[in-house]
Amino acid sequence: MMLYYVPSPTDAFSSTEYVFQSVYYGRFLQTVHLYTAYAMIMLAFMHMMRGYFVSVYKKPREMMWVVGMVMGFVTLGFGFTGYLLPWTVVSKSATDVGIGIIDALPGTISSFLTFLIVGAGGDATELLRFYDLHVVVLPAVLLVLLTVKMYMLEAHGVAEPTTGPPIGQRASRSLPIFPDVTIYLLGLAAMFGSAMLLVSAIFPLSLPPMYSPQLAAQFTAQPDWYFLWIYQILKISAFEGAGLPVALGLVTLLFVALFALPFIDRGHSRRIAERPIFVTIGLIFIAELFILAYWGLESPGQVIATDEAAMILGAVALIVGTSSFAIYTVLEPRSPPKPNSEKVTKTQGRFATALAFVLLLSGGAIAIGASLNAIVRVVLYGTSASSLIQLGLSTGFLVIVAYSTVFFMYRMELAGASLKRRSDWLEIGWSTNDSH
Amino acid sequence: MIPTRSVVTLLLVLQIVSTGYLWTVSGIGTLSEARFAVFLAVNLLSFSIVAYVYTHDKWGETIPRGWILVGALALALLLLSSLYFS
Repeated sequence: MMLYYVPSPTDAFSSTEYVFQSVYYGRFLQTVHLYTAYAMIMLAFMHMMRGYFVSVYKKPREMMWVVGMVMGFVTLGFGFTGYLLPWTVVSKSATDVGIGIIDALPGTISSFLTFLIVGAGGDATELLRFYDLHVVVLPAVLLVLLTVKMYMLEAHGVAEPTTGPPIGQRASRSLPIFPDVTIYLLGLAAMFGSAMLLVSAIFPLSLPPMYSPQLAAQFTAQPDWYFLWIYQILKISAFEGAGLPVALGLVTLLFVALFALPFIDRGHSRRIAERPIFVTIGLIFIAELFILAYWGLESPGQVIATDEAAMILGAVALIVGTSSFAIYTVLEPRSPPKPNSEKVTKTQGRFATALAFVLLLSGGAIAIGASLNAIVRVVLYGTSASSLIQLGLSTGFLVIVAYSTVFFMYRMELAGASLKRRSDWLEIGWSTNDSH
Repeated sequence: MIPTRSVVTLLLVLQIVSTGYLWTVSGIGTLSEARFAVFLAVNLLSFSIVAYVYTHDKWGETIPRGWILVGALALALLLLSSLYFS
């Protein structure tokens, strides 16, 4: 692509269009380039969250996490800089949104970033800077960071698995890097590549119109999907205008917390079962991220009412947090139960079980449907007293059904005396007295 | 029973045939580029299955036949999807 692309506002679009239409496999290459870039961002996010949940960042791998986070930012930088290069109305408008956000940052940071990515000139300098960053600076930085991380990996080794015996006690063998490990990794890469090729064949890229200020004025600017969640936060009415620095401060705080995670989470355990607070926070983070991104996609350019945002994001946090808490409580390790002594016949037991199952299934279906309907209503038509009442009631009902399901399943296990882990709050009214 | 090692021979033949076919596909136009992408995907997937069999065989591990079947199914689907792009 670099053979044909010309990084200037007058030629960027036409050279990209030429690659699309006249260069052999040009469109194919552009399509694969875009989808693999998306996959890289998604896989980097999944890698980060996996590392978060099994806390790979704990001693002695704190700095590996920090380097990995910087690599994640560089990956996002690739996306941000590469998006502008075709100089379409979509890409230029989205980049302008990003630059607008940078302008709202505190003075020194804003000046430095503006100097770095936009330069002193207008569109021509900006495009050239983005191109240089995309093809020279960021690849070089990523290569250096990758080398540092690989060195750290050699020094510290991979993190111990959180289940099973420690690495030192496992049957181990030494494999040569070539051909064994190389072929194994090439096989994985080929599998990933074939999936990307298939997606590229099914959804070939089409080029939006060329950027012009007139066309851009008729177009609602929207960043690419991986920045939508930040964009959606900035669209909340409380953060409009004077509130923008507050929103940017909150997002920055989130990133600082992610960077500093190894120094915040100082607990010794790495097992998911023993880290309920951090795991619950991680689950809420993922859920909020997806909700914000989807919401941003569905409401381009719309300002979001603060109470509406608080209601939806709060409901998501409540549902995910309660579910996580319920699961942790059920799975909490306790002493083995005493056998059940309640006197019920087998027929009575079967009937009660079937009835409870049908009731919970119906209740669950209604509660999920009503909650989704309420969320969609709020997203599409905004907040109103009736929609908020519906949302509150359906969410509350869903929580009750979820609790009842957990309660029901727990009591069945308890009755079968097969529980290894026990919970007080699910044993209300349970008799362990054999005499009655 | 699937003769796992014999599958490798078939896959190598498939790779050679698909590579030959790739040279005949025109590089301009959405449909022909899609066809190119599908046959390149067939080629890569065949390679990944061969690599899977090779590494497991060399390490003295049992080759899970379920995964070979899944791979074969994916290859069949890819080859069938090429009809859509013709």
